[in-house]
Amino acid sequence: MKRTLLALSLAALTSVSTFAVAAYPEKDINGIIAWGAGGSTDTVARSVAPHVEKILGGTIVLSNKTGGVGVIATKFVDSQAADGYTLLMNAENPQLYKVMGLADMDYSNFTPINVLARGVPVIVARKDAPYNTIKEFIDYAQAHPKEVKTGSTGPGGLTSVVLAMINTENKMELTAIPYDGDGPALTALQGGAIDVMPAVLGATLEHVKAGRMKVLGVVDKEAHALLPDAKPITADYPVYEKYLPWGPFFGVFAKKDTPEDVTAKLVDAYNQGSQDEAFKKLLADRGFIQLNIAGKEADDFLKRWQSVTSWLVFDAGIAKKSPEEFGIPKP
Amino acid sequence: MDATPRKPGETGFNILLLLGSIFLFYQAYKIAGFSALSSPGAIPMAASAIMVITTCIIVVKEFARPKAEGGAKAFFTQILPFTIAVMCGLIILFAVVLQQLGFVLTGLAFLWVSIWFLQKRSPLSAALIALLCVFVIYVLFRLIFQVILPEGIIPERDIIASVKNFFAGAK
Amino acid sequence: MPETLQYFLMTWTQPQLLFLTAIGTFAGIYIGAIPGLSVTMAVSILISFTFSWEVNNALALMAGIYMGGVYGGSRTAILLNIPGAPSAIATALDGYPLAKKGLAGEAIGLSTTISTLGGFFGILILAIAAPFVSEFALRFQPRDYLLLAVMGLLLVGSLSGGSMAKGVFAGALGILLGSVGLDPLTAEERFTFGYTDLMTGISAIAIMIGMFGVSEALDQMHYLSMPAIKQRLTRIVPSWQDVKKHLPLGLRCSALGTFIGALPGTGGDIAALMAYDHAKRSTKNPEVPFGEGAKEGIVAPEAANNAAVGGAYIPMLTLGIPGDAVTAVIVGAMFVHGLNPGPLLMIERPEIFWFTVGTLTLATIFMFIFGMTGIKIFTKIVEWPKTVLLPVILLLSIVGCYAINNSVTDVWWMLGFGIIGYFMKTYGYQLGPVILGLILSRLIDDNWRRAIISEQESVVGLFTGIFMSPLSLFLFLTIVFLLFSQTKLWVKLKTRVLGRSAKDVTIDPTQV
Repeated sequence: MKRTLLALSLAALTSVSTFAVAAYPEKDINGIIAWGAGGSTDTVARSVAPHVEKILGGTIVLSNKTGGVGVIATKFVDSQAADGYTLLMNAENPQLYKVMGLADMDYSNFTPINVLARGVPVIVARKDAPYNTIKEFIDYAQAHPKEVKTGSTGPGGLTSVVLAMINTENKMELTAIPYDGDGPALTALQGGAIDVMPAVLGATLEHVKAGRMKVLGVVDKEAHALLPDAKPITADYPVYEKYLPWGPFFGVFAKKDTPEDVTAKLVDAYNQGSQDEAFKKLLADRGFIQLNIAGKEADDFLKRWQSVTSWLVFDAGIAKKSPEEFGIPKP
Repeated sequence: MDATPRKPGETGFNILLLLGSIFLFYQAYKIAGFSALSSPGAIPMAASAIMVITTCIIVVKEFARPKAEGGAKAFFTQILPFTIAVMCGLIILFAVVLQQLGFVLTGLAFLWVSIWFLQKRSPLSAALIALLCVFVIYVLFRLIFQVILPEGIIPERDIIASVKNFFAGAK
Repeated sequence: MPETLQYFLMTWTQPQLLFLTAIGTFAGIYIGAIPGLSVTMAVSILISFTFSWEVNNALALMAGIYMGGVYGGSRTAILLNIPGAPSAIATALDGYPLAKKGLAGEAIGLSTTISTLGGFFGILILAIAAPFVSEFALRFQPRDYLLLAVMGLLLVGSLSGGSMAKGVFAGALGILLGSVGLDPLTAEERFTFGYTDLMTGISAIAIMIGMFGVSEALDQMHYLSMPAIKQRLTRIVPSWQDVKKHLPLGLRCSALGTFIGALPGTGGDIAALMAYDHAKRSTKNPEVPFGEGAKEGIVAPEAANNAAVGGAYIPMLTLGIPGDAVTAVIVGAMFVHGLNPGPLLMIERPEIFWFTVGTLTLATIFMFIFGMTGIKIFTKIVEWPKTVLLPVILLLSIVGCYAINNSVTDVWWMLGFGIIGYFMKTYGYQLGPVILGLILSRLIDDNWRRAIISEQESVVGLFTGIFMSPLSLFLFLTIVFLLFSQTKLWVKLKTRVLGRSAKDVTIDPTQV
């Protein structure tokens, strides 16, 4: 017992970089992951961290603080000192907190260190569904109101936003069965409990390749290299171009008003760290499009995303408050 | 019929549970009312309704049994004797100050005071045990499993960093 | 075939892999035993830690931790009445009474042996029937999960102790507590009273540690002056006769555990509770009544929860669908290591499957060895003077509870429920049903809503659906049977048909 403890603690110590500098970081950085172990945000945050640590010369201690679609973690990091020793690793959700009435904060309360990647939404259906493309699906659903069962992952989630888009442009009635994430919903799709499901490409990829479900199309302006046969939605409906590109994203954020030399160091470390080949491959394999942006570029990205999505969910009637209240401009 | 006398405080506790259940039922109703069978409030309402019904049964059955004897005095000897009351108090105090003062301080103080209080022997031996336990727990959780325990007023990370740097320097 | 064997034996023949599996299993036992340190947490820390490792090394370590961790939960459940993990709750029900009688060594010995049996059983099913089982598991519709949850709820009857009304109250309370927070399906707030801290819900583990550990520690303070129970350690390895006697029950519960583990959405905790229920119903004449240290009460959950490990790997390796929270993290780890867990994994990388089967088998063997060796030192803990042991248990509960989600609020809940639990216990409420309700809460709530939405809000439609599907009908009839078999009518019928005394199956009417 003692020996193992010793071995484990030695291992833990050696994994820690022994580099020491006077400036930031002087101590361990706490990385707060807003989502549970095993999810996309968790996996990506944990796999980029070792590369960043190398460049930063410090340790990032990652812990999951889940719940309330990320509100708990976001509020927690906001309540800590703005010294760069507590970082938030979260997905797109905070940009909707205000209109969903979950919290009166969003990413404008934070400085983006790195928006790591975004996902591409696709629409998949069970393999024996009577439609093969997005157009056929929309036609079928319009002809058979309420008959098509779709999975939904809660208001503001990818599924609801994509369906809100479609509903705005091509009105139809579906029966939405709620699931607590795209994993369980895609499992239900294979078991026939639901018929169709908008989901992030990476989650569907292996199942599509194995022929256990079929992809109707990509909700993007162009086809994706991993699923070259799936047509982009704009091929049949150019009207969707104004919403796109749209997709979930995740990134690393520091509290606003963190000293600039600290954020600069973090931005640089994350920028270099995410250029690691193994990490790039991980993102590509899961169908994510790497963004690796910070500063103004990231701010613009976040603002545009918030404006497009807030108005979409508001017009679809799933938002609790109008984006106008918070000065979110129409796209 | 059950003829065992009630325990001191039993009636009060059951009535409290009944009131609590009614309150929770009202809260569950407020989630979505009777809007739909599939509403987020449906199962909470069903569960709290069952709670109200069962506590009613419990209270009614209760009154059929002979009353508890001894009044408040019996409650504080049988149900909540001095030792347990003090320990409950210590636990609550511990929980309240944990965040502000940090785990190391509060944990040490809690163990020291409670072992001393329970043993009623030398404060020194209690302090030693407390120190040892907190040390083991700290190493296990904070250092090996990297669970960030509440830091409070002790700048733990700075201390760890300086210890680490010391060893790094020695290399 | 020789290739398969080669992959299977990879871990056995490479010293490095052998060593990592051993370390993993050993660490897993202690991680599982300490409340608050969970296997899920340990495996996710390992994702960063093993980032640069060979994928096989990482998988071997994780498999070891998983297998050891599920078993380890029973240690603290038996010794301290604090289940180290939710899957060990059922073990505490009869394990802790055994420890109170000074038979902790025997209880741990039995749980180790039976866990090993369960572990092997789950792996065997994984090896020979994985594709079949996972296809079948996928067919479970929301209504089937709902029926399964209802079946689990019937356990309230066996857990209620003296008063049925109090047991049902406790079960309903558990379901209600499980629903607190932002509804995971619609993001509607439930019982949050506007507090952000409540949005995340009340951690089930916090309530569990509070109601089992803290309330028991408070209760024990009535008996401070009594000397600690001397543990008899003469018999640790259970006798062959003992094992043989419990073998049929162990195998039935292993089968149950494997299948419940393989269902995406249910895991070892539910498996163990359902197995406990099964044991209580099927054991006609236990030597000791359930709840007072019946050996069957240890055999059933321990067989089921370790069998669920193999079960959880079934949909993960064949379809890339995790069977529980731990396998979900392992899926993430596989991605990080460049594998693509999914239906094609078995075709593209068949070696991963057989490698995992081999590693799990080895981990089970190590689990037996490590499980059987550390017992004496472990049981010594219970012999500490209570004046030291109880404060340490309280502190450990607090730290463990904090560690689950790095939240002080969880600690408050734990202490609050510890104190409430103490009073409930004092006034004749059983705490088991609370935890049962808590564990089943999501399963019932989510699947009730999914099932009823699928039928356009029609209860008639739901029942039509149940009668149209053979699987649902089977589950439904099982529930009806389980309910009916507790009524007096059934007893009368049985006596008349079989002509034998119904004494062993009747429920004492004064207890209802």
